[in-house]
Amino acid sequence: MSTKGTRIPDWLKVPFAGITPGPSQDKGQNLFPTGNWRSIRPVYRDKLPPCNNACGTNEKIQGYLDLVKRGKYLDAYALIKEDMPFPSVTGRVCYHPCEQACNRGKYDEAISIRAVERFLGDLGQSLKHDVVEAGPSNGKKVAVVGSGPAGHSAAYQLARIGYKVTILEKSSKAGGLNRGGIPDWVLPQHILDREIERLIELGIAIKTNCEVGKDVSWDDLKRDYDACVLAIGLTEPNGVRAEGEDKEGVLYGLPFLRDIGMGTSKVKLGPRVAVIGGGNTAIDCAREALRQGAIEVTMITVEANTDEMPCSPEDLHDMLEEGVDLWHGRALTAVLGAGKVETLQLHPARFSGAINASPITINRNVPAERFAVDNVIIAVGQRASIDWLPQEFKNERGTIKIDRFGRLGDTNFFAAGDIAQFGSGQPLMVVNAVGDGKRVAFNLDKALRGEPLQPRTVAVDVIMDLNRMNMTYFPHFPRAHQSMLSPVTRRKTQVEVIQGFSEKQASEEAGRCFSCGTCNACDNCYLVCPEPCIARPERSNGLYKILVDYCKGCRVCIEECPTGCLEGVPELDFDTGVVRMDTAFAISPGLHGRQAEELLNLASRPAKDI
Amino acid sequence: MATFEVERQILPILGSPNQGARFYNPELPSSEPFVPGHRTCAGCGPSIQYRMTSKAAGDNTILIGPTGCMYVANSSYLCTPYNVPWAHTQIGSAGSFTAGVAAAYEAMIRKGKWKGPFPNIICEAGDGSASDIGLASISGALYRNHDCLIICYDNEQYANTGIQASSRTPYGGMTTFSPPGPEVPEGKKLFPKDLARMMAAGHPHCYVATASVGYPIDLMNKVRKGLNHRGAAYLMIYTPCQKGFVYETPRSIDLGRMVVECGLYPIWEWNPERRVYDYSFRPQNMRPVSEYLKLQGRFGHLHAEHIATLQQFANDQWKMMGVELPDALIWAADPQNQMHMAAAAEAEEVADTI
Amino acid sequence: MPTAIAGKKKTVRINGCVASAQAAKYADVDVIAAYPIRPYTATMMALAQMVANGELDAEYIVADSEHSQLSISHGASSCGARVFTGSSGVGVQFAYELYSPISGSRMPVQMMIADRTLDPPGDFGSEHTDALSTRDMGWLMGWACDAQEAFDNHLIAYRIGEDPRVLLPQMVCQDGFFVSHITSDVELPDPGQVKEFLPPYKHPYPLDPRRPVSHGPQIMPEQGPPLQLERARAMEECTPVIEQAHEEFAQIFGRRYDPWVEEYMTDGADVVFFLQGGHAVTARFAIQHLREKGIKVGMVRLRTIRPYPTDRVNEVLSKFKVVGVIETNMALGSVSSGGALYAEVCGALYESPHRPLVMSFMAGMGGEAIVLKEFYWMTQKMIDAQKRGKIEKRTHWVGFED
Repeated sequence: MSTKGTRIPDWLKVPFAGITPGPSQDKGQNLFPTGNWRSIRPVYRDKLPPCNNACGTNEKIQGYLDLVKRGKYLDAYALIKEDMPFPSVTGRVCYHPCEQACNRGKYDEAISIRAVERFLGDLGQSLKHDVVEAGPSNGKKVAVVGSGPAGHSAAYQLARIGYKVTILEKSSKAGGLNRGGIPDWVLPQHILDREIERLIELGIAIKTNCEVGKDVSWDDLKRDYDACVLAIGLTEPNGVRAEGEDKEGVLYGLPFLRDIGMGTSKVKLGPRVAVIGGGNTAIDCAREALRQGAIEVTMITVEANTDEMPCSPEDLHDMLEEGVDLWHGRALTAVLGAGKVETLQLHPARFSGAINASPITINRNVPAERFAVDNVIIAVGQRASIDWLPQEFKNERGTIKIDRFGRLGDTNFFAAGDIAQFGSGQPLMVVNAVGDGKRVAFNLDKALRGEPLQPRTVAVDVIMDLNRMNMTYFPHFPRAHQSMLSPVTRRKTQVEVIQGFSEKQASEEAGRCFSCGTCNACDNCYLVCPEPCIARPERSNGLYKILVDYCKGCRVCIEECPTGCLEGVPELDFDTGVVRMDTAFAISPGLHGRQAEELLNLASRPAKDI
Repeated sequence: MATFEVERQILPILGSPNQGARFYNPELPSSEPFVPGHRTCAGCGPSIQYRMTSKAAGDNTILIGPTGCMYVANSSYLCTPYNVPWAHTQIGSAGSFTAGVAAAYEAMIRKGKWKGPFPNIICEAGDGSASDIGLASISGALYRNHDCLIICYDNEQYANTGIQASSRTPYGGMTTFSPPGPEVPEGKKLFPKDLARMMAAGHPHCYVATASVGYPIDLMNKVRKGLNHRGAAYLMIYTPCQKGFVYETPRSIDLGRMVVECGLYPIWEWNPERRVYDYSFRPQNMRPVSEYLKLQGRFGHLHAEHIATLQQFANDQWKMMGVELPDALIWAADPQNQMHMAAAAEAEEVADTI
Repeated sequence: MPTAIAGKKKTVRINGCVASAQAAKYADVDVIAAYPIRPYTATMMALAQMVANGELDAEYIVADSEHSQLSISHGASSCGARVFTGSSGVGVQFAYELYSPISGSRMPVQMMIADRTLDPPGDFGSEHTDALSTRDMGWLMGWACDAQEAFDNHLIAYRIGEDPRVLLPQMVCQDGFFVSHITSDVELPDPGQVKEFLPPYKHPYPLDPRRPVSHGPQIMPEQGPPLQLERARAMEECTPVIEQAHEEFAQIFGRRYDPWVEEYMTDGADVVFFLQGGHAVTARFAIQHLREKGIKVGMVRLRTIRPYPTDRVNEVLSKFKVVGVIETNMALGSVSSGGALYAEVCGALYESPHRPLVMSFMAGMGGEAIVLKEFYWMTQKMIDAQKRGKIEKRTHWVGFED
């Protein structure tokens, strides 16, 4: 008997006929930690999407688009509300730097982010109770001077933290530039009213007809409040230093719009109106002039062409569609007429520098053009009105002098919005003012709690570049367009020009988002891994995990990640997480003996559910 | 004799990952019949295929592994990555062993010796097994129409034994049995066996399809269609081999797309009910073959005329599928033009014109 | 305790092939893998008809080759199905790759062999070389000498091979034509008897989705020896299982076989024939005639060659003066330059204190019958050697020498 007296040593025990019990799904086959082959480890590291970066208040745009495409609208609204108090407003008025930055714009067409934001904002408007609540009271009082975008934002964020906030507004209605600077046919008043109500619901007190320097003084503010945010904006219009600017029929852009917005306008326009200026306010004025009864509206700009104009191309396009005439390269040098404007005198002109704020060079050596008009609206920027402010806090450009945290010296006064800029005369975009208000509010909170402040300009993380993403996964797909009133209809009414997205449109448009640099649970890495060693307890953004015991570092997942949130990191950067093997063919001696026992117990194991 | 009805499962077809404008894979089954810890090379194409196939099939599955990489590397040293029953069989026994398993379950369920739904029986044969030594046994299983799915994971060579030419190795492919030299500059002189079409033509009652790891959902759906088909099904899947093709491991899926885009691996389905080929699958782009060849070391020795020959081969494949050829591809099939396209940049220019 | 049942037994006149088919039917096989080659084909023809008639519920697969037959059988057996297959001659060789994998994975596949001479040239006649060439592949193996024994051997082989202590494939052999195609009375049992004797096949670790296992993973060189040792142990230690099976068979069916060797008229014999299979029938006649003439000749017929009953062969053959091995097989250039059995016999006798003379006869080759005259001739050769106390030469080609 050859096998008599034979025995198999423990370390060589093998299961019956080499029949190997099945491994477990969670732990892998548990014998070969192939992770020690790897030199590069895939790591999930979300990067900043360019839209989030470009947004003046760094809305988590990719985040809410992702929620919208999953139909989680309320969550999306809540996410947007972290950074933006009034998405219903910015969803209409924002010049959407996010869309300019959108990587999809380099591929086919940018995502219509603003329209999705408006969809969410309008959803928020319809809610009985907002998703945002005031923070637990910390007993401190803050005054916010001004209820425009920056003040609104600062007050909103401070209330969320737990401050008792009072807004001081010099006009009879709160809203600031949102109300006074934006025509009804862009932002209907009731939308803004609802957003103001939301502030009151947060416990914020709004004192209207309360002007700093007149009704309250610097010292009052200092005495009555623990801190103060000055968000008073640029309220006074710039002139063009032309002869006869004081004649009747000469109007200024901002007051023209503001009076209409506040319902206090007494202006009656003649049939021929000229608008001086090439910015967004000028465009709004030109379009408003049509709605106020003008027949022929002409816009006169120093800029030599439309590309140079500091305005939103879409708005310019819509204005031209409505029939406004556009002249370039001319400056208004005199307003002629007997007491009332009758003719404009124009000379060829250009900016002396590269930017629109540079001094204008006027060529007076050629004969002047004469242009007959009934009214002229001058819209060439604004300036501040800060006579009441202690001199030490004024800067040479006529705005408030602040440090890089938005603070006035070592006081508990902070400034935000246009008034805190360097005084280019061009107002900030609404969204930038909102962002400024938000960051200043956070700094104010830090200051009161004695924590170090953060600079107002954001430190930029890695912004996801299109080249690091895998475009194979994105078929070209056209952008959804918002429907608009026809130019013929809209030029005569105050009805909102641009229509909102339907739910289907919003969801489809959000679906076009690349999720640049951010995991959106597409499952691609999970599906293409050859091991497979990518696990996910549930399918959700960012919940994917590499089983480093097994990952061989082939990097297929990185290559195939559509969004680029996976990246390779040299294994030398890690000092743990890899099981080493004791023997050549198993991680520990005798392991096959355990397999043999496991096989014997197979029948007593619960049967797998098939 | 008491007989029992054989219950057969029907697996649902997965939705497209591009849901409208959005790239998002459909919900995948949570069970994992193929687990990590096996010893395939990093980025292994057949392993990717194995994972997708087994995931599509689910837990009520029996896998059969004729000798090949997916036996040697996956189950080495008494290990197993298979969380469903798996059996090794001889390289020439792909179809026959599978037939035995299918027949056993038919008989055992019918005779009441085993209770449960008929399992998904999948044979994972390499192209060496499927196109050479096991061809007859697979043909036999298809002809007899056992309820099983036979997959040829096609890495176009005998890889496990150290890269030898199989009858699926493409023209010009360098292997240790088809090395290039002064007398044989192109390496492999023969064109590959059109295996899947052989199977469709010879066994028209079977569901036959080709797939590529570059298109995972299409692949998984074809697996499910094959399993749902009552009778035998055959699937030939392109699975790049990093070791034999000599490319950078992250490109495994990319090559799976490229080979289809350049026409060297037509993707189609044979409809056994209507007895027609379905050529409706279209890649996003069409490319010249040079785009695909230049990523792989095994084609590094090719001369312009050989690339043109391969382009002509690809063009013929497109034509077979009824695809109209862009001028650039016709142009690229002329060796004179290939000569001019020696620079990669120029080849890319051609790609852009398509 | 097994009890003999006299139920619906019946006696039919059938040949060996049909007897094998009947055995498969009584064993209620699940999967049958067929491929035509003479002479075993008749078995598969009979089974095909049984399936067509609805007498047997089984998957009847017409394979594309013998290699596939064995692979199909391997696959089906791995799932827990009882499998029946078979072949002859070069067909046995075509399937050669599978013999070791099947026994190594411990699948009790049953294969019926009706022997046929190997090519070249094409010769339908019986010669044991086909099956014998696979004798070391880990299959249980033995020859029947008539249709009844063939029928019985199939049932006994299933019983042994499927025993959880054994789990080995079985090759159940019979001579082509001499057994496979000659009809004789065969007693078919009552199905209840078979049920009592042969429990349902149950592999402990089949391919079952509810309890996943992997069959036959690749191993390290050092993992090979323990697996080989276990396979060797299964082959060696099945001896008591074989004996118990034969004992129970005798009790249930009333036919008693010595599992290892049949001794025929060996009482007081000086010289004996040592052979396997159907030529034993002629040998019995020859011995009767020779005994009538007072010549002390007998016969020892090997019934089971794998596992080889070394001690038993030693014990039995040590009683005699001369052993004449009738090969009926070719082992070119082997120990005796004749057949393979000679070495098996000599090996078993080496340690015997009373070693007989052993000589080898190349008889019954190519399917030729061994006629009485040739038995007499061979007996004379053995007697001559006995007288001389020494053999003339190791191997004689019967019919080609004086």
